[in-house]
Amino acid sequence: MQFKKQVIESNPIEGITTLSMPTGIKDVITFGGSFLGGGLYSPKSNKKIAALTTSMLDKGTESKSKYEISDLLESVGAEINFSCTPHHIQFTGFCLKENLETVIRLLGEQLRTPAFLTEELEILKTRIKGRLEQSKEDTKKQALIGFLRSLYPENHPNHRTTTEEAIEQTENTHIADLKTFHKKYYRAGGFNFAAVGDIGPTKINDLLKSSFIGWGKKEIPSVDFGLCAHPPREKEKEIHISEKTSTDTYIGQAIGINRDHADYYALMIGIYILGGNFSARLMQTVRDSQGLTYGIGSALSGISFGSDGYWSTWGTFSPELLTKGKKATMKEISDWYYNGVTSDELEAKKTTITGAYQVGMDSTGGLVSRLLSNAERGRGIEYLDQYPNIITDISLDSVNRAIKQYIDPDKLTTVVAGSFE
Amino acid sequence: MSIENKKAFKDPVFIKESGGIEEYKFEQNGLTVLTLEDRSAPVVTFMVTYHVGSRNEAIGHTGSTHLLEHLMFKGSRNFNKEKGTAIWNELQNIGAQINATTWNDRTNYFEVVPSKHLERAIEIEADRMRFALLKDEDRKPEMTVVRNEFERGENSPFDVLDKNIWATAYQAHPYHHSTIGWRSDIENIPTHKLQEFYDTYYWPNNATVTIIGDFKKNEALKLIKKYFGEHKRSENDPPEMYTEEPKQEGPRRITVKRAGQTGVVGVGHKTPKGLHKDNYALQLLGKILTDGKTSRFNKNIIDKGLATSVFMYDFPFKDNGMFISYIFLTPDTNHQTVEDLVIDEYKSIINSGVTTEELRRAIAQTKAGVAFSRDGSYAVASALNEAIAIGDWTYYTTFMECIDIVSESKIQEAAEKYLIEDNSTTGWFVPKKVEATQDAV
Repeated sequence: MQFKKQVIESNPIEGITTLSMPTGIKDVITFGGSFLGGGLYSPKSNKKIAALTTSMLDKGTESKSKYEISDLLESVGAEINFSCTPHHIQFTGFCLKENLETVIRLLGEQLRTPAFLTEELEILKTRIKGRLEQSKEDTKKQALIGFLRSLYPENHPNHRTTTEEAIEQTENTHIADLKTFHKKYYRAGGFNFAAVGDIGPTKINDLLKSSFIGWGKKEIPSVDFGLCAHPPREKEKEIHISEKTSTDTYIGQAIGINRDHADYYALMIGIYILGGNFSARLMQTVRDSQGLTYGIGSALSGISFGSDGYWSTWGTFSPELLTKGKKATMKEISDWYYNGVTSDELEAKKTTITGAYQVGMDSTGGLVSRLLSNAERGRGIEYLDQYPNIITDISLDSVNRAIKQYIDPDKLTTVVAGSFE
Repeated sequence: MSIENKKAFKDPVFIKESGGIEEYKFEQNGLTVLTLEDRSAPVVTFMVTYHVGSRNEAIGHTGSTHLLEHLMFKGSRNFNKEKGTAIWNELQNIGAQINATTWNDRTNYFEVVPSKHLERAIEIEADRMRFALLKDEDRKPEMTVVRNEFERGENSPFDVLDKNIWATAYQAHPYHHSTIGWRSDIENIPTHKLQEFYDTYYWPNNATVTIIGDFKKNEALKLIKKYFGEHKRSENDPPEMYTEEPKQEGPRRITVKRAGQTGVVGVGHKTPKGLHKDNYALQLLGKILTDGKTSRFNKNIIDKGLATSVFMYDFPFKDNGMFISYIFLTPDTNHQTVEDLVIDEYKSIINSGVTTEELRRAIAQTKAGVAFSRDGSYAVASALNEAIAIGDWTYYTTFMECIDIVSESKIQEAAEKYLIEDNSTTGWFVPKKVEATQDAV
């Protein structure tokens, strides 16, 4: 399979790029799209506004009630789902080929003319506040919030608000805020649309053209990504949540580079050797040999779209095995850092990553996701064909050098959430 | 197996075809094989489903099916750490997506691999079907792994409530206990008991092999013959699980009180065996109640701000199941208010039925779900796995035909028959208010 040959890229109108990929699946089309205007574009006083704006898109348009929208989709068994990431407003969906026109026209209407009804916002706020209350019991989520707050300053893409702050900001959101945000960011411009399945590019382009013509092109003001991680606020932190039978631990640090840096691939695969999958070091030792955890892994995160990312190792431990588990984890990290990785490990992980890349083409949903994230990063289609070669070309020396350069075991932050009594 | 025996092992016999899936059987050892060729992507899913799940467990060894599933990754005759051929390494190093799952009626092991590596997946699964190395020194550390999996489940109010509802609804039948088992059984089950379990159930005549995706059928069948052909059928058939749940004679209730933030209400009603025709009507009723913004619970509970989310499940199992609605309450909502709304909705369906429009929409939603259950070889294998588990893989291929003929009156009749008070088990998760999250440095 070659992406360059199979994907057709076009621009039906200025500011919208489509990526169409016909496959062997019959009658079914999976699609997804995105444009800038995610959480980081919220006003600094209320970071929930972008997400709440997105959540109101399926609550009615100027000409359709939420029930009419839902009925239209459900009657043909189609779906459109909206979400908000730190950088993007995203949507994904699927439909049968015969219903594509209905679904794309509705998508256009939902993005362009949401109703923004006050009573709907109030119901949504009640539900979101409820979910946030529930998330206070989530040991993994609370550990991650604590970990990221320790590494990054407010307004950095990787910073997280506390759950209490999120509840307060949700409460203080008003319809006028959402309308203002929508007017500013919901426009063509950097809008990518990917469709995979039983599809032809002409049809999809015609539909997008008629659904989005006259939408207007936006100029996105730049968000200050110049912010960098600060020195860790804490070396060790415990977040107490009552009556939990398992804890979640994050150990790691900010690494100061993003995905576009020349050392990214070497560092990524080095970390994969430490904890990228079951056959990586952490799962093989801390879980498989020592039985101290059900799950443990290590990864680079928060590195896209220019932000300086972080390396974290996550593990789940019974309270009674927490001390042992952390110690065993640190031993593996230390060994990995001081002794480096071996040539055999590197070659094994190269075939893991390139093989998994092929396996990821198994579904239309997987292909849409791959096309879209590549487009969001501003890369051409050819990158998707080049990726396996990029991985294959990584040298052992570059991996061990990157580990030494970006990891410092003496400056780690550890955050654990759960019950310790 | 001797060379003579290998020569004597015959090709599989074609049994039937449905929905593009073909069934074959190796008559000598009883192994069933399902194939579906699809070249949309250069990927193939290989899966072995054993017809054993937590329904085959009894007091003292609950969770053993699942613990055994974990131990099956520790090594087999030809694939083990000592030989430098550990199962995880052999498969993950070629980029395979690999795992196993255990549930009430089955245990499945699967590999999603680049097409050229199909043989490796077949070889490994055949080896561990009869030659798994089940050692006590492996069980000990794996026990604490599984116990931590149990503990993670116990962290979730929903998981705890769900376990309690099943344990209250089912008293005699082994669906009483969850697949992960009770903590003390996980901790204490001896290795020899797991070996017995393995020697009772892990045989070709108690397994179904599935291959979906980019492969050539004849070549794949030859490979299956080559590797699984060395296994004989078991001397004794795996034992029947004959315990039936006695008739329930009145409503049951359970309350779980733990530290937490918000409440949950679960309302369950027993349903017939998975292959019973009434289940199709119940599947559609579930969609009418909870699927989409126009569903009844969405309009009457979510849109009133009483819950953060609502969902229900009615999984078809080999034996009887449960039609359970779960409502996750918003902070100030009263459990009883929401429980009453659920029961009122059931009564309304019993008394007045559902509308033609509701039925039409539920069928369309189901049709789309079925179309997308074929998106990718793993998705097909995963759905097929559950049909194999309940005893008839064509449940997967004929599902839509059976859904299409459900009428409004069938749904009303099913509600009248099953969603009655005496058949119900209701559970509340009541959060004990404790001090909010505290940070300590």
